[in-house]
Amino acid sequence: MKTETLDRLRSRISGIDAMPAIPIILRPLLRCLDQPAEQIDVNRIVELVSYDKSIAAQCVRMANSALFGRSHPVESIRTAVLNLGMWRVRDLLFSNSLSQVIPANRWVVDPSVFWRHSLGCALVCRRFAEIIGYPDTEKAYLAGLLHDIGVLVNCMIVPNEFRATVEKAYREHIPMDEAEQATLGFTHSDSGRILAEAWKITPDLVQAIELHHEIGDPERGGPLVALVHLSDLLCRLRDLGYGYYEPRQIDFANEPGWLYLVMQFPNLAELDLARFTFTLDEYAKEVGELVSTVFAA
Amino acid sequence: MSNDSTMLKDEQLSVESLTDPVWIRIRDLIYQVSGIYQAENKFYLLVSRCSRRMKAVGARTPREYLEFLTARPNRDAEMRNLLNEITIGETCLFRSMPQIDALRKVVIPSLAEAKKKFSFTKLRFWSAGCSTGEEPYTLAMILLEETQTRLKGWTFEVIATDLNDRSIAKAQEGIYNDYAVRNVPPEFMKKYFTPVGSEFRVNDSVRSFISFNRLNMLDDSKMLFMRGIDTIFCCNVLIYFDGKSKTRTVEHFYNALLPNGHFFLGHSESLYGISKKFRLVHFPGTTAYWKPSESTPKAGAP
Repeated sequence: MKTETLDRLRSRISGIDAMPAIPIILRPLLRCLDQPAEQIDVNRIVELVSYDKSIAAQCVRMANSALFGRSHPVESIRTAVLNLGMWRVRDLLFSNSLSQVIPANRWVVDPSVFWRHSLGCALVCRRFAEIIGYPDTEKAYLAGLLHDIGVLVNCMIVPNEFRATVEKAYREHIPMDEAEQATLGFTHSDSGRILAEAWKITPDLVQAIELHHEIGDPERGGPLVALVHLSDLLCRLRDLGYGYYEPRQIDFANEPGWLYLVMQFPNLAELDLARFTFTLDEYAKEVGELVSTVFAA
Repeated sequence: MSNDSTMLKDEQLSVESLTDPVWIRIRDLIYQVSGIYQAENKFYLLVSRCSRRMKAVGARTPREYLEFLTARPNRDAEMRNLLNEITIGETCLFRSMPQIDALRKVVIPSLAEAKKKFSFTKLRFWSAGCSTGEEPYTLAMILLEETQTRLKGWTFEVIATDLNDRSIAKAQEGIYNDYAVRNVPPEFMKKYFTPVGSEFRVNDSVRSFISFNRLNMLDDSKMLFMRGIDTIFCCNVLIYFDGKSKTRTVEHFYNALLPNGHFFLGHSESLYGISKKFRLVHFPGTTAYWKPSESTPKAGAP
């Protein structure tokens, strides 16, 4: 995107009072997660959960849900957290805090569809990272989760135009970024980048947000961008997209991001991609459960 | 009373057995042998199908049944029985909507686009292992619909083959009960079927586009005659072949297809470890294999 357009967009975003604020819980959560999985402090997570009555209630509700099929009801937050496992608790915390970023009446896309896609992408991205041996699987998760936050910005700063954009994408069955480029002159990758910078999110995550549609030269964004790009594509092809049909054929083995990752992580060449794709349907169930827990509140 | 308690027992058993890690091993074994993948959210299906076979052979636990599938002398026959059980009841018209959408919205338009350049206006589809005809009739109806709308002036042909004479005969009859037509969209129902008693007969306007033939896919000399095909459907057939026969048959399919042609397998069926010539491609909700044209750059994997 042209620097000039980007600057104009930046001044437009900063000129608006309604710029989404970073959720209070997000920064300590990110800090807490910015360490190896085995060193994550369970007490700290329980503490963070307890800050917010509604999140705590959701943890308890989810721990008691059919997905876990428990015979004894879970009552305490701590037991709920331990039963759910760190990952699910984080999923809940993130989707909760992020779903409060914009007021309920400002959503242009269906929020549950948005979170379904974001969480789906986060899970796929993490799994993908594990399979190929990308070392920072948590970062991959976060990048997947946050890759579309520009959609939230668009809901806030250009609600009417963005509504027309979304309708265009649904009607013409075209990718969202293509519809945005045609109607807004910028995409959610651009506005997402500006928000991420304002939130002082680490530069590699900012890049993943900015480049996930047009990865260009994969060297520039590195493996993280390629991972998010491919996971986003997979999700949109596997019932974890924005809920409309994008008629196309994707040959992953020929995607620049894939070719780049194969060079960096040679074992990707041996991946049974068909089987990996089939397993994504298992994620769809888990994500569905999570999203309905968050939105049942 | 006694009935009730048996039912209760069965239910408890299945809930318990759903979490048995041996199911994962059985699932992986099925995938390895047949290429059919059972996702964990569909495990109840796997379990219920295995339970039927377990009852038949007298296996009391999943572990015991795994032994029937791996260690007993007639393990191959039992795997065949299990695969039969898994794919049973899957044949109906308009079975896989994601595949049909991929055909209508992506594959046929791009085929037409490419062929138009050479002034070709004919499409040729092959339903390999057509069983009792549900698949070729579905394909013919879709192609018929296309040639009446976007592809005016085009012609097409559906070649339907199966090893089983009785299946072919049944397919030629083209009469289906309401269960087999449950997925057919109402407008297709109205246009292409005639009620016959409590059943439905496919109209001759559809039949005339299909040729039914008996064909053994392991017969190399016959397979060599199959050429110039645009799209092949072969669902839940290769799963019964051993590794070598699979590779050979897929090689025949590859040669039968025109460049840029597509090869569709059953839902959750994969060619992994069978052929590297085809390229796996993704459509919304489904996957297929694609024969690249000579000019397509070669990719690493998969």
